[in-house]
Amino acid sequence: MTRSDGREIYRVVWPRGAGTVRASDVAPRLSTLEGKTIGQLWDDLFRGDEIFPILEEELGRRFPGVRFVRYDTFGSTHGRDEQRVLAELPARLKELEVDAVISGMAC
Amino acid sequence: MLRASAVAERAGVPTASLVCEGFRGQAATTATGLGLPGLPTALVPGHVDVQSAEELRRNVASVTVDAVIRNLTEAPARVGAAVVEPKPADIVFEGDLDEVNRFFYENDWGDGLPIVPPTPDRVAEFLRFSDRPGETALGVLLPDRRRATIWNVAVNGVMAGCRPEYMPILVALVEAMADPRYGVEHSGNTPGAETLIILNGPLIKELGFNYEQGALRDGVQANTSIGRFWRLYLRNVAGFLHHRTDKGTFGNTWRVVLAENEDALRRIGWTTIAADEGVLADNAVTIARYTGGGVIASVFGNTPDRMLPYLADSLVTKVGWELLFTVGMGAGSQRPLLILSPILAETLARGGLDKQQLKERLFELVRIPAAKLERYVGEWTNLVPGRPTLTELVKSGQIPALFAESDDPERLVPIVCRAEDLMIAVSGDPLRTNAYAFAHNGILGFPTTKPVRLPAEWPRLLREARAR
Repeated sequence: MTRSDGREIYRVVWPRGAGTVRASDVAPRLSTLEGKTIGQLWDDLFRGDEIFPILEEELGRRFPGVRFVRYDTFGSTHGRDEQRVLAELPARLKELEVDAVISGMAC
Repeated sequence: MLRASAVAERAGVPTASLVCEGFRGQAATTATGLGLPGLPTALVPGHVDVQSAEELRRNVASVTVDAVIRNLTEAPARVGAAVVEPKPADIVFEGDLDEVNRFFYENDWGDGLPIVPPTPDRVAEFLRFSDRPGETALGVLLPDRRRATIWNVAVNGVMAGCRPEYMPILVALVEAMADPRYGVEHSGNTPGAETLIILNGPLIKELGFNYEQGALRDGVQANTSIGRFWRLYLRNVAGFLHHRTDKGTFGNTWRVVLAENEDALRRIGWTTIAADEGVLADNAVTIARYTGGGVIASVFGNTPDRMLPYLADSLVTKVGWELLFTVGMGAGSQRPLLILSPILAETLARGGLDKQQLKERLFELVRIPAAKLERYVGEWTNLVPGRPTLTELVKSGQIPALFAESDDPERLVPIVCRAEDLMIAVSGDPLRTNAYAFAHNGILGFPTTKPVRLPAEWPRLLREARAR
């Protein structure tokens, strides 16, 4: 097909692929962190081993009874073990009665 | 890291994801791809690796803690209505060449070079070279979690300037891209490694690939357009975009396809890369991500004993922080690639080495002081938690014993765990004594080989394509 100025017209299709994930809302939030159990998930990168203790200290000061499950309880969420660790995660969170998660580090 | 958060959220557990300043944009687009656009993040100011312990504490205590509390106790905005996207055969635009190119570029569907307009007729030409229908799914690609299909392979092949008869190779490439072993989801990581495609089989000659002088240079349609296709497909279907999901600090331009010189391999009785990776199909593609590489110029000598020290030293110097993938994250997944020009391979073969023997000889020579390896992964970078020594890693069973045969910090240790981890290809100017070495990105782009499946009517289709 050509236009009146002689230029060819192209009718083109979309280069992307159909999305496979339906957007959903995140999990319900907690009313307080007081007395809650917080799981730490770490990808073994970017000083998480220094940052999680600071968070523990600060949150512990503000929320009495808050308890932490350390990242090494779950295994690294990045690298060779990622797929296994993530597959096991829902059951592990339930088993350890984790109420909330802090996940790091993206840098 | 966000993938872990998404799993927890779907299990009903609220999360706070710790994100350094430069990653907020990537976190937002990745969360959308994960189907959780409201996934909250907690800012860690700046980049942690350049902060003193005091600065880090101050930043976390003054900024991150409050954000974590908000993430876990305040509901983010609810998800809005889903955007309706086109169906595969929908016409999304009509215009002349310039207008089509502008439209594609403005929608982030182009790479900055002009594209060939993907019209239904052109796409149909590509589909003739597959026995599978266009809607056939080849996998789901992160980070956008979009479906890879025969149809969108054809569309992106058209755009890249491929010829229709390249279609079987394009499909095999996407099958490799979708293989979890390869790890496409890591393609936007900060070192910005780029994939190298290696082709084996009779298709090298049938489709006119360059496998001699200038083997890694653009300028030959088959090598060049298929290399471009790879990056367009990562963009359009996997969803890697500058400043969003692609966080390569510098990045590389896509690489042209490396075709092996199989005439040279046959003359000296060496195996192909595909065969080394366990795929014995007539035609095969191998993909792996490499952080960088460089030429090893003017290798001198007429025997392996004279040639190997230089080749080994060059492999050592090309691999630095990537040693992380030998002894740290994904230990044992570092697979450096050495490309030999045919005259070098033939000289080594004449000296009595088959490929496996060459790998074993190199494995003995490609060594560095243990203290330097420890410095790469423990002192100069911050990518192995706890900064363990090699001896500690051996004791914990994470790496082979040969990394701790003594306590001498100057003892020599290899840069890979096994001789087989070294990959050797033959290509380039047949009569020049140069080689090329690539440092590899480990599990974040692990070598993956797939057979190329030709359509039943391949000889006729190829004949017709050549006549056009």
